[in-house]
Amino acid sequence: MSQETEKLYQERLTRYVAAMRKEKPDRVPIRPFAAEFAGKYAGYNNQEVTHDVDKAFDAILKCARDFPWDATVGNMVYVWTGLTEAVGLNYYAVPGIDKPVTDAFQYVEPPDEETAFMKADEYDEFIADPTGFIANVWMPRANHDAVALGEPNTARNNLSWLKGGMAMLSYFGKFGGQIGRLRNETGTVHAIAGCLKAPFDILADKFRGFRQLCADIHRQPKKVIAACEALRPHMYYNAVAGSDPTKQVPISIWLHRGCTPFLSPKQFETFFWPTCKGIIEDLHAEGRQVLWYAEGDWNPNLKYIAELPAKSIIYHVDRANPFEVYEKVGDKFAISGGIPNDILAYGTPDEVRARCKEVIDRIGKNGGYIMDAGAIMQDDSTVENVRAMTEFTLEYGVYR
Amino acid sequence: MAKKAKKVIKPGVCIPWAEKIKEYPKILGDPKILQKSWEEIDNLAYLYLWFIIMQS
Repeated sequence: MSQETEKLYQERLTRYVAAMRKEKPDRVPIRPFAAEFAGKYAGYNNQEVTHDVDKAFDAILKCARDFPWDATVGNMVYVWTGLTEAVGLNYYAVPGIDKPVTDAFQYVEPPDEETAFMKADEYDEFIADPTGFIANVWMPRANHDAVALGEPNTARNNLSWLKGGMAMLSYFGKFGGQIGRLRNETGTVHAIAGCLKAPFDILADKFRGFRQLCADIHRQPKKVIAACEALRPHMYYNAVAGSDPTKQVPISIWLHRGCTPFLSPKQFETFFWPTCKGIIEDLHAEGRQVLWYAEGDWNPNLKYIAELPAKSIIYHVDRANPFEVYEKVGDKFAISGGIPNDILAYGTPDEVRARCKEVIDRIGKNGGYIMDAGAIMQDDSTVENVRAMTEFTLEYGVYR
Repeated sequence: MAKKAKKVIKPGVCIPWAEKIKEYPKILGDPKILQKSWEEIDNLAYLYLWFIIMQS
């Protein structure tokens, strides 16, 4: 690593961290999450970057070399389907297998009680030992190679467990190398470290399925609350396990099913919010920030989010009105995003620049703002629009 | 007879060392050495299971 690259890295880290702490750095930092966009830019199709993690890493490095972003993620095509296929997981539609190579991978949630990975009468077993439930009950249902307890063992079952563990270690090892390459070769900060999910989201996404969980909140609400409470320490533990030991870059939380219209405010208040809020408060008490990646429109929930301690989160705006977010919680939290992916995909560079100007003028004028698209950039974001967002911010985002 | 409450397993753990150590009739050396390795590798299994749930 050259001294110049390390100097660049330190400047970017200082800029990024200052903005997240609601301070005014020298310029608005740029932190796009480039998913399938990176593959397109590097000349790879979606099958290549989803299934071949080395190509996914190469694609990000090419972006980081060519776009002077302050921070990004080493691989934002966040599911490596090489691993999920080796394990035998059955809930992904994979480009090149189930979908054309031009499509992105898709999570396919079990749609009914029969296919749910956890049944309505299994709450007590889950609550007593969530980890044991995953190993012994969940895995054989979510994995066509795993065998349920009591059933005859198979070679494929043995290999599924072995390959899964080995693949995870391989992936973590490569990801560590990728973070180092971003720093050493391009001076780019790795934007996040550690993964948090809201207990209610995990219960919906990976155990009951959202439709089934909606029935549960009426039929057995106390069990749903107890399940969220049982998940809470595990969500916290896993978030911290992968977090930045220096506590500079935030833990990410990708938010799914808490926003309107999935849950009413009352349901949000009862089922989603208590455990989610508690985890973030615990992380904040230890000096950790959370990137609150509010997928969809969370503005009807802003009064709850305002309860969080100041600077405990960086509020990321996807499809919501970012100016309302700024008005209601901008005094407490730094804000990122607010550049609609629709504009990046279907707009013109002039429209991108106009939107960036409006967001910087109205939200970022005093610091505490990080430039980013509303959501991860898939292959519909155009190169010229991403370049316009980047170059405009480099020039107009300077604080004088 | 009252039902015996099941012991809650802490985050980061699949099979607690306190449970594993009962399987050894006698430990001739330092049990802490065994415990360290057991817990480190057991933790990897825990992280794998939750990695699948949270990130895969």
